[in-house]
Amino acid sequence: MYWYHWITLGSLGICFANSLVHFLRLIRLGKPMDYSSPAGKIIPSIQYSFTGAMNPVKKESAFLHLPTYFAGIIYHLGTFLSILMFFLIWSDLPLQDILIYSIVSFLLISFSCGIGILIKRLLKKGLRDLSNPDDYLSNLLVTGFQLMTGIVLLWNQAYPAYFILSSLLLLYFPLSKLKHAIYFFAARYHLGFFFGWRGIWPPKKLERNGGWEN
Amino acid sequence: MGELNKEQIRKGLQVFQNLSDSKLITHLNSCVHCGLCAESCIYYLATKENRFTPARKVDIVASIYRRYHTITGKFLPGLINARELNEETTDEMVDLLFGACTMCGRCTMHCSIGVDIEYLVRVGRTMLSNMGMVPATLQSTVNAAVETGNNMSIPNDEFIATLKWMEEELIDEVNNPNAKIPVNESGKRILYTLNPREPKFFPLSISAMAKIFFAAGESWTLSTQMYDVTNYAYFSGNPDEARLIALRLWNEMGNLNAQTLVLAECGHGSRAFRWEAPNYLQEHFPFEVKTSVECIADYIREGKIHLDPEKIKDVVTLHDPCNLVRSGGIIHEQRYILNRFIANFVEMTPHGIDNYCCGGGGGQLSMSEYNERRMKIAEIKARQIRNTGASVVVTPCHNCVDQLNQINVFFKLGVRIKTLAEIVADALILDTESP
Repeated sequence: MYWYHWITLGSLGICFANSLVHFLRLIRLGKPMDYSSPAGKIIPSIQYSFTGAMNPVKKESAFLHLPTYFAGIIYHLGTFLSILMFFLIWSDLPLQDILIYSIVSFLLISFSCGIGILIKRLLKKGLRDLSNPDDYLSNLLVTGFQLMTGIVLLWNQAYPAYFILSSLLLLYFPLSKLKHAIYFFAARYHLGFFFGWRGIWPPKKLERNGGWEN
Repeated sequence: MGELNKEQIRKGLQVFQNLSDSKLITHLNSCVHCGLCAESCIYYLATKENRFTPARKVDIVASIYRRYHTITGKFLPGLINARELNEETTDEMVDLLFGACTMCGRCTMHCSIGVDIEYLVRVGRTMLSNMGMVPATLQSTVNAAVETGNNMSIPNDEFIATLKWMEEELIDEVNNPNAKIPVNESGKRILYTLNPREPKFFPLSISAMAKIFFAAGESWTLSTQMYDVTNYAYFSGNPDEARLIALRLWNEMGNLNAQTLVLAECGHGSRAFRWEAPNYLQEHFPFEVKTSVECIADYIREGKIHLDPEKIKDVVTLHDPCNLVRSGGIIHEQRYILNRFIANFVEMTPHGIDNYCCGGGGGQLSMSEYNERRMKIAEIKARQIRNTGASVVVTPCHNCVDQLNQINVFFKLGVRIKTLAEIVADALILDTESP
């Protein structure tokens, strides 16, 4: 292990511990206690919250903004791929050239998506007004992480820079909006709970005879 | 707005303490400022003002949380826009959370992450309520309900006289001297509630529902002690006042020993009692609660009432009240009812859980200082109605009726606005008319 590995290991520990605090707090506080009589079922609604309700056809935030939506999806896939590569790079597992070039190509696309989202945030007044420095910094760190992942796969001289950037990202994660990676799942859960309890999700279809089915 | 004192700030920040579950911290930490919620909000759509983007409403509440409850917010507030709870912040909160949100929840449905934006607006309103900063117009409506038992401060003798008058109308209409509007009768199956707008402005909607009960042979009563289905404290964000109002209706069920509480056509009232009241009171209902929409649908399904499909020839459309439909789950019942007897029923686009708010929700009707803004955002609903080509707009909510009536005049739509009970009563086939 080189010095930069130790720095990254420390950062990973801090990130993990901080994230665990967030996660354990969510678990400790638990699910809502609702005294009203339920009109529907929670589990199918939570499932729907993570599946059908995320369908771009159902969400204006997706179908009214298709370029941003798809850029966002690719950008997140690029992030997940970069996280996976982080562990593979660290473990020094040999990868076939074709796989490396495929990954780098995808990361180049996802990096472009990240830059595109950043440019949109800078250019659109409404979005600029909504943004704070964290919005830009979070994007830069994650987009830079994707770029550095691609570079280090092709050029191992970039190892120190790659691990330093990874460390910064890990340290910044729990302090910033990046922690939505934890809260996103809780938000979808709570939404599923709310709409399921009230019998709104999953949607029901009106039948001709006046009844309705799930 | 004057300078805030320490006690006000302490009370405002209380909403972030003593959390009962993980819902609040989840939604406070989830928004990524993508701004894609803008087009789901009628305020943004109608005005194109960036400050009305729902994410801005989330952010103003979340920014205070970040300032006092996160490490970054305490040491580097500028990095994450963590804001002090001060006069500048509260002024903006009042304008955005009270003056620019009907709490329709449409943005929540369409949020890319799943942030319950409407819930956070309600939390922000509770902060302001704790600090004594609810707009005076809205607070006066709450005060009227707390002090007089109904939000329009209708004196009891006036209310009883209106019921007597409506009973005479009912007798004439059904041509049966035994028809009545029962008052304070103990041991009936149903205790029915009213929106105070009914006795005050639209008394015929009382006789319309009474006619339906009569046709169904229902055992029911009204209470003169507590009949108000509304709960404006739900809008003001004051849980203590909301609890008090809900408790009165709860107690009246016990006093009159009724089995089922039927909530009048009122979106927020239905939500506030059916879904929120048990949580205000921290108790499960020992009785059944249903909306009048469900009640009418049940009568049709059970064959207790029959409707004449030849009676209404107009093109009819339906406005979905947000709190009844998107947040209350009453989505199909009203359509089931209308499809039984309306030959020319046309849906708005969009409708159901995606429907646009009329603009009167969230207490907007009582906050006259935002009237101009309220009518501006109403152009979305006016356009929806005009596009249907309908001459009658039905909505199971008296607050929506009020706003839709104003829209009708303001945008010269030339339609008639009716409650569900009114249009059902128009088409009722009474036994005497049966072939």
